[in-house]
Amino acid sequence: MTARSDGRLPLTVVGGFLGAGKSTWLRHQLHEGAFARHHVLVNEAAETPVDNLLFARAWRLDTLAAGCACCEGRAALVAILRRICDEATTSGIDGIVLETSGLADPAAIATAVATDPILVRRITIARTITLVDAVSGALQIAAEPLARAQAEAADVFVITKVAAADTHGLARLAATLRTLNPGAVIMAAERGETAVLPDQPATPWDLPPLVTLTPIRPHRVRVGDAGGWAALSTWLSALLFARGDDVVRVKGVVETPAGLLLLQSVRHLVQPPEILPAHGIGLAGPPPERGVVVLIGRDIDPDALALSWERFGG
Amino acid sequence: MCSACGFPAVPGHWTDAGAKTPGDRLRLRFIRLASVNRLLAPFGLTAHDDGATPGLQLIAPDGRRELVPDLEALWSAAARLGGQAVDPLSPRALGKAVHDRSQ
Repeated sequence: MTARSDGRLPLTVVGGFLGAGKSTWLRHQLHEGAFARHHVLVNEAAETPVDNLLFARAWRLDTLAAGCACCEGRAALVAILRRICDEATTSGIDGIVLETSGLADPAAIATAVATDPILVRRITIARTITLVDAVSGALQIAAEPLARAQAEAADVFVITKVAAADTHGLARLAATLRTLNPGAVIMAAERGETAVLPDQPATPWDLPPLVTLTPIRPHRVRVGDAGGWAALSTWLSALLFARGDDVVRVKGVVETPAGLLLLQSVRHLVQPPEILPAHGIGLAGPPPERGVVVLIGRDIDPDALALSWERFGG
Repeated sequence: MCSACGFPAVPGHWTDAGAKTPGDRLRLRFIRLASVNRLLAPFGLTAHDDGATPGLQLIAPDGRRELVPDLEALWSAAARLGGQAVDPLSPRALGKAVHDRSQ
């Protein structure tokens, strides 16, 4: 992750349920040189700050012990992020990593950044990494609405403590995560070291309905070329206003008169779109398909979606 | 942001990305008006851009008007003036039979 051309600092959110192994994983990542020149921000829900020595390899480190950053510690989070942004010109950081408390909903953190008039200009949420305990993760996702919200918001899953789980259980957990959040990348780790996920088909766990009754599903909308930006932005903004709670994520690379635009949202919130370099440098992983927008959400009738785009998108 | 009035409060709505040059922005503004009106029509609302006033004027059938700075504000005002959200997937938007109990 490097600083973007528009000067916004990329913020990586590392989340996951209580005890998922966030600190262990992050410490190992820092030890291996990941998140170099990043300001590391650690939030604990409890009022006890973490042992700073745990993160001896962090380039810069702050702890937020004023409560969970997505709710009662939100003002403290905003204040510290503003300070980091102000110092960014002299400190020369390339980005920020926030290790959330186990009680944080990543979407609430995205909202905190997007609704702050200063942070929205200085920070962009680059990735949400959600850690899932290999053994107790399935149970948490089945029973806890918060664990499910964390899973739904992920760009990347890291299944932790894989050595403690059996192969079949791991495969089922991975299948469950894939059902919950079809767009996310799934990885595995043991004490922070990258581990291998079993490559076998498995049935996802049956997730009992929590608040909502239907599972989220990915939908693809082929939006075409540059001329469609006006219609797409109009249609999508109306859709997100009316159904932002159902449309959990939107991702896509679309052509516009200004160039290729990377579009992504978490619930109602759309990140300020980033203009991608034409040659594709700067993208991690394979380049996404152009002219296709992926909508991940629930209670979306695929036929209505296709008809709606046909009617309003042309 | 204007240093005198502090407007806009945030760096542009995301729907305003995608057009960088003044010409592209003007084109986007007028092409978009047609898209906006297609979506508003099933809900009895219209939007008007006089080309001089920044933002769009949203007009309700009873004559109420509201000036909105961006599409986020437009959909919010439309939901208020029209009494329901302009949902592109709703049967109403898609022109399907809607059972209206008031008639």
